[in-house]
Amino acid sequence: MAVTTSAPPRLVMRGISKRYGAVRAIAQAELTVAPGTVHAIVGENGAGKSTLIKIVSGAVAADTGSVEFDGRPVEIRDTAEAMALGVATVYQEPQLFAELSVAENIFLGRELTSGPRIDWAAQHTKVVELLELIGLPAAVATRPVGELSIAARQQVSIAKALAGDATVLILDEPSAILTDTEIDVLFGVVRRLTAAGVAVLYISHRLDELFRIADEVTVMRDGATIGTYPIGDLSVRQIAELMVGGILDDEHHVREPATGPPVLELAGLALDGAFRDVDLAVRAGEIVGLYGLVGSGVAEIASTVYGIRPATGGEIRIDGEAVRPTSPRHAKRLGIALLPADRTEQGMFGFQSIAFNISVGNLDLLSRFTAWVDRQKERTVARDLVARLAVRTPSERQPVNALSGGNAQKVVLARQLVDRPRVLVLVEPTQGVDVGAKEEIHKIVTGLADEGTAVLVVTSDLAEALRISDRLHVVRGGTTTVEFGPGASQVDVLAAAAGAEGAA
Amino acid sequence: MTVVEERPPPARGRVLAPAVSGQELVLVGVIAVLWVLLAFTTPAFLTAGSIQPLLVEVAPVAVMGVGMTLVIISAGIDVSVGATMMVCGVITAKLLVDADVPLLLALVVAVAVGAVLGTLNGVLIAYGRVHAIIITFGTANLFLFLGLQIFGSQTVNGIPGTLAFFGRGAEGRFLGIPHSFLLTVAIAAVAWWYLRHSVGGRHLYAIGGNAVAARLAGVRVQRRVLLAYVITGALVGLAAVFTVAKGTSTLDQSIGTGRELAVIAATVIGGTSIVGGRGSVLGTVLGALLVQTVSSGVTQLNWPSQLSDLFVGIFVIVAVGADLIRQRPFNRRPLNRRRAR
Repeated sequence: MAVTTSAPPRLVMRGISKRYGAVRAIAQAELTVAPGTVHAIVGENGAGKSTLIKIVSGAVAADTGSVEFDGRPVEIRDTAEAMALGVATVYQEPQLFAELSVAENIFLGRELTSGPRIDWAAQHTKVVELLELIGLPAAVATRPVGELSIAARQQVSIAKALAGDATVLILDEPSAILTDTEIDVLFGVVRRLTAAGVAVLYISHRLDELFRIADEVTVMRDGATIGTYPIGDLSVRQIAELMVGGILDDEHHVREPATGPPVLELAGLALDGAFRDVDLAVRAGEIVGLYGLVGSGVAEIASTVYGIRPATGGEIRIDGEAVRPTSPRHAKRLGIALLPADRTEQGMFGFQSIAFNISVGNLDLLSRFTAWVDRQKERTVARDLVARLAVRTPSERQPVNALSGGNAQKVVLARQLVDRPRVLVLVEPTQGVDVGAKEEIHKIVTGLADEGTAVLVVTSDLAEALRISDRLHVVRGGTTTVEFGPGASQVDVLAAAAGAEGAA
Repeated sequence: MTVVEERPPPARGRVLAPAVSGQELVLVGVIAVLWVLLAFTTPAFLTAGSIQPLLVEVAPVAVMGVGMTLVIISAGIDVSVGATMMVCGVITAKLLVDADVPLLLALVVAVAVGAVLGTLNGVLIAYGRVHAIIITFGTANLFLFLGLQIFGSQTVNGIPGTLAFFGRGAEGRFLGIPHSFLLTVAIAAVAWWYLRHSVGGRHLYAIGGNAVAARLAGVRVQRRVLLAYVITGALVGLAAVFTVAKGTSTLDQSIGTGRELAVIAATVIGGTSIVGGRGSVLGTVLGALLVQTVSSGVTQLNWPSQLSDLFVGIFVIVAVGADLIRQRPFNRRPLNRRRAR
């Protein structure tokens, strides 16, 4: 499993484990990274990648295990100790101040000083050196970061990370927000750094790009490191297989295929800067999945269908008739309901009661002359939905803040069901809910489809996408690519979403 | 199956806040204690001659507070009410002096002018995506300029007794209670019903609680927010009439000065959460009553008048603190539960 190189490895981690309360994040993880190489870490959401890099960067402390740095045993208990070893981390979104210049950003918090004042000359010399290393012109040093492109900002973040003489650079999904040409720039920077002897830990969901940049890949699954391989020994499909492992693909319960005309159709739907040429159809009683990685445009498709960001091209059809929802309210009137992705930010009225949370947005139905709320009717509807969705609560008067994630999610879902939508769009319906509640929510959704609702599930949870969908569309690079039937395997879908050519 | 059994938490909470909240009961208690204390120390306090002027003073603050309650529940604020009152007040006074208009017309004009200024605030806030405090701070200066132009750097003199119906005198009372206070109570009652039982009121609570979720639920957020500022402006117009009526026959430029602070203080002391989503009109009226009781008490005890500012400041801080404590149980939840990602 260990890699043989002449010099001692830059970083060796053995038997690393970490628990959060009762939850095991990683167990017995092993990692060996050679200097001057790019080492990719891959795994599905929740496989333990982020915990592992947080341990390397000192953001969290491991419960067990040992770490060696250039052959010496070390302890990384906090970020200061990690930084002293030369571990630098660049997160997905550049964390920079738009108003400050590039040089000021790079030295923020560790300004080079002579006496009480900032030594601008010394800083400038150092900044020019760093900019040269990452491939930006020296003139950029004095420009405000806000004027730079996303890719250039990311280069600045890398320069900032390198300002403290980095020996290990962690790049956490650096390519998710970049365009193809910007990715080329990023890779150029990474190659220059490895040539200078820096060890790069590269986290990415896009498997295809690993073949262009990585030397080795460590695969994680369920909190464990499955193995480390030279990248040339594997294909995208093989990596996907290792990530998914022996998970059975057969738990999908095949439903009767829906017949009849589609209720919701998207034809060549486009939103500038997010997605284009999206085609799909959902029939009454059908559950269609939409699976894509972060940045693929999959989340924006749901927003457009619900009128949050109206389309800039193509058509949405309901029962064959072209519609153009321009606001959530308009979409609702057209018979479309949306369960938003982020329950607390977009769905819940935290300190309000369950009944309030269910009735809001449906008060036209639950009032007399659409003027004053019919409290009796409101209570009846709330109780009925609480019972139907099995929300565990002593009464509909409880504030939703007092509920667990799964139960709160059921309440937000209940709001979408008051008016019996023709089309139900669910975005990440089981994010942050426990296993039991997840199962229940899947049953509820299947039940709604059985009653004739057309359901579109947008999810980045692969197992869920396969389990719940009758048909599954993969979104990649802002458009729908492959469609899978009920028998699809996780490996095929992941390979298609993460970029294997010709996968189907 | 691995269904996690959850122990049901003890039943608590309700669909709506209770008709009379804990804070309102506390306010009633505090006001009662103050009145009893004042009655003992200054025997003249609990007489009609002392209470009637107190109610006349309470009316404008309370009636503006009704509007402010709607605004703050929607997670906004309006710091332009003082300036709006100045514009409405000077227009009313000029109409009475120069055109000798009847009471009803003066009232309608004042309310209409207030509503127009409120509409300006509401449109900018609802459709311009800038925080309400910045917008209304800007419009406050604009309105101030407008008001001073109408004053023309002079006081308005010789205001006739047309407004005596809302004045301090005997013709301003019904069964011993000032008309302005009675009207304020009636308006507060309607607003109380609106907030608790109407669709629009529910939507205001929803917007203040989580504007993004409200919009996604299909609430017309912008329209509701706009309406709250229009109502506030109109009620400030009414309060301007009350204020001109309770004054002397001369109106100077100080009308409305600092009133926004008194109104916001009354609203916050009444238990309306400054971050939105929670609050009640009853609390605001009680808050206004408390503020005026303190101020009258300080005057009648012949204490230095700045003490009344001190007490109001303490009340505001205590009320905001109480609001924070009410939110606490939710803030204390573990981070991974609050923001599951």
